[in-house]
Amino acid sequence: MKILQMNDISKQFFGVTVLDHVSFDVEEGEVHALLGENGAGKSTLMNILGGVHQRDGGSVEFCGKAMENISVKSAGEAGIAFVHQELNVINDLKVYENLFLNQEILGKLRHLNKKEMIRQAQELFTRLGVDIDPNEMVGNLETSRKQLLEIAKALHAEAKLFILDEPTTALNNEEIEHMFGIVRRLKAEGKSFIFISHKMPEIFALADRYTILRNGKFISAGNISEASPEGITKQMVGEGYVNQEVYESRPLGEPILEMENLSGPGFHDVSLSVRQGEVLGFTGLKGAGSSDLMQAIFGVTSISGGTLKVWGKPAVSGTIHKAMKNKIAMLAANRKENSVIPEMTLIENTYIAEHCLSNRHQHIHKKQELGKYDRLKQLLNIKAESPNDLIVSLSGGNQQKVILGRWLNTEAEILLLDNPTQGIDVGAKAEIYKLIQDLAKQGKTIIVNTLEIPEIQKVADRCVVFYHGSIQDVLEREEITEAKVMLLATNAAAVQAEQG
Amino acid sequence: MKETNKGATFVKEVWHKYNFILIFLAIFAVFLIINGGATTMTTVMNIPRHSTVIGIIALGMGLIILTGDIDLSVGSQLALVGGLTVMVFNSTNSILTALVFAIFMGVVLGLINGILVGLVKMPAFIVTLATMLMFRSIAQTVMNNHNWTIYQLDASLSQWKPLWVIGNSSVLRVPILVLILIGVVAVMTYLSTSTKFGKKVYAIGSNERAAQLSGINVSLSRVMVFVIAGVLIGIASFLYVANVGSVDPATSGKSYELYAIAGVVIGGISMSGGKGRILGIVFGSMSFTIIDKVINALGMNPLINDTIKGAILLLAIAVQMLPIITQKLRKAKNT
Repeated sequence: MKILQMNDISKQFFGVTVLDHVSFDVEEGEVHALLGENGAGKSTLMNILGGVHQRDGGSVEFCGKAMENISVKSAGEAGIAFVHQELNVINDLKVYENLFLNQEILGKLRHLNKKEMIRQAQELFTRLGVDIDPNEMVGNLETSRKQLLEIAKALHAEAKLFILDEPTTALNNEEIEHMFGIVRRLKAEGKSFIFISHKMPEIFALADRYTILRNGKFISAGNISEASPEGITKQMVGEGYVNQEVYESRPLGEPILEMENLSGPGFHDVSLSVRQGEVLGFTGLKGAGSSDLMQAIFGVTSISGGTLKVWGKPAVSGTIHKAMKNKIAMLAANRKENSVIPEMTLIENTYIAEHCLSNRHQHIHKKQELGKYDRLKQLLNIKAESPNDLIVSLSGGNQQKVILGRWLNTEAEILLLDNPTQGIDVGAKAEIYKLIQDLAKQGKTIIVNTLEIPEIQKVADRCVVFYHGSIQDVLEREEITEAKVMLLATNAAAVQAEQG
Repeated sequence: MKETNKGATFVKEVWHKYNFILIFLAIFAVFLIINGGATTMTTVMNIPRHSTVIGIIALGMGLIILTGDIDLSVGSQLALVGGLTVMVFNSTNSILTALVFAIFMGVVLGLINGILVGLVKMPAFIVTLATMLMFRSIAQTVMNNHNWTIYQLDASLSQWKPLWVIGNSSVLRVPILVLILIGVVAVMTYLSTSTKFGKKVYAIGSNERAAQLSGINVSLSRVMVFVIAGVLIGIASFLYVANVGSVDPATSGKSYELYAIAGVVIGGISMSGGKGRILGIVFGSMSFTIIDKVINALGMNPLINDTIKGAILLLAIAVQMLPIITQKLRKAKNT
């Protein structure tokens, strides 16, 4: 019997179609994997089901009843539980208090009946096979336990359908196994699950059926037992990506950045040699370690093992200033939090890193700065009126160009670009990739970390794929295809070998 | 339509940038009206003269607030540095030694605060709350051990008179204190607007994470800011001693942290850091001094003083927030 039937769901945001007549159904007592790349429409579909967004068209039927005007509250009452990536538990309360939040059991004198709540919590955990003390403070629980607590909370609220949005990103293998055990147990009780994940081994270990979305459209659905990781990956990515050619092959120089068994927070045993003038693509799922490695090279975090050589000399770990002296620059991910200085002007934002290179010559020569700013503005094609405008008055793409200008201004030779096209429009993206190619021609060494493989295909000489903190494989330019990178990034190859 | 819009944005911009001067001028006008014919060059000059000590302290406070921190210990620092400076002068009979010592002591106290805030990374509010208690108590203890009731300059010394001159006389009818204030303001304005260090201070207050990832040594910069504030407190303490001739640890510099913060805020510097101009602080501090004079001139009960100062502070904040408040009201109307 179908517990959920979503038909012809459509949704537009600001005139952009994000869901185009998508149909999706879940059987009672199954784990259904919802698959697709970032931006495929999975989250929007789930947010419509969970009452966060309202659909523009189509119908939703849950447990045989049509659902109109779904709100977060009505979805919860109907028995749909959304277990979010960011946990919604309250750290400063005890486990049982979290469990019974807003549904406290009261005694005769309308006081809290703690004993009864603790007893019921214990009962629930026994049923789940979870070892959590109801009297423990939630803040003291590990992430995996918190996640299980959320599931228990939903179970207590008598949920029938659980939406698990990338539930394993913060868990280790053992914890993942434990969690999957619980999901299977609940499945046997007749509960249903929608499972969103990018990791092929997990999908093949847990799911019964799958549905694939791409660019807001339904692509296919079927049984996992009849599918292959490669087939699924191909359908997720699609064929025929058209792009304008900017890549030019050019002679590369000596190794400029050498890593040997390098380990640090978020990555381990990385060995890699980057040559002067090379453009290297880094990719991997969120938390795979590529961004962490960049931060360690730039001195934001400290190296815990192995060696890092810059210009042939061992680098001092854990100081950004030393890295900058070594002519390394890093364009950080999450522009708003990590790069933009909102109360400062364009020219100030352009110069703030340059000011840190040397503490001598404290005086700022305004005319000199203006001249250099103008050249950078022209080079980067920044659309702005006055250098004294605040940076926040610009669009995202132009802000990013200013930040890029900040680093070019330090005369850095090694540029680490962490997700440089995040949240910027297509035009600015193209300009940034053209610029990367131009800089490489001038002999700059550039590493681009991005989840978007077409971007790597555009500019990179090689592509390094990360999985679980270490390098899965290094692909030469000719070998870089979306399907291949996805296979490596999700470790689907390992599953295939197992099935093989 | 467009023209009026342009005019409106121009007015808004001027208002946004210079409201500290407008607030000052408004209070100054009240002062002139009340004083009427009794207004002389001296009464006008007394405004910056009596703002010198608190103004210089507020400049240091402003720098600290620009990084997003706060210093509650400035008043106690004045009492301790001032008291010890009196002792040094009395035993050396040297103005220069007293000045150098005052600045040195300011730096030491600033370092204590700065290291705890910047390097140990304790919250500035708590650190300076603790040192506020400690510094004043040390000043009182040292005094008590000598069986003094206040720290008093020895008027029999040969250098006493020149020191008094620095604190109390004028050159071409401009008090020496005011000349020094102008000099300090000029240096601090230059530091905050035209040096790399100044830009770093703003960057830290605006977005600390981005500042750090731009290569700024945030911890060290924080220490430096407290040290510079210490230098300013050293200068202010020296001038206080030269002006008053004595330091009473029980009352000297009492509530100065609050007046300094108020001066900074009226001067248009954001309490969350990263925004505002050093020049505003002087006007903010002078606005408060005028209130004292107005109350004096009106012959009001001096106990009402802080009520009026508090009200002016609230008014100043309300005025600065006017654009945001009207925006919110408009939004509320539309929905």
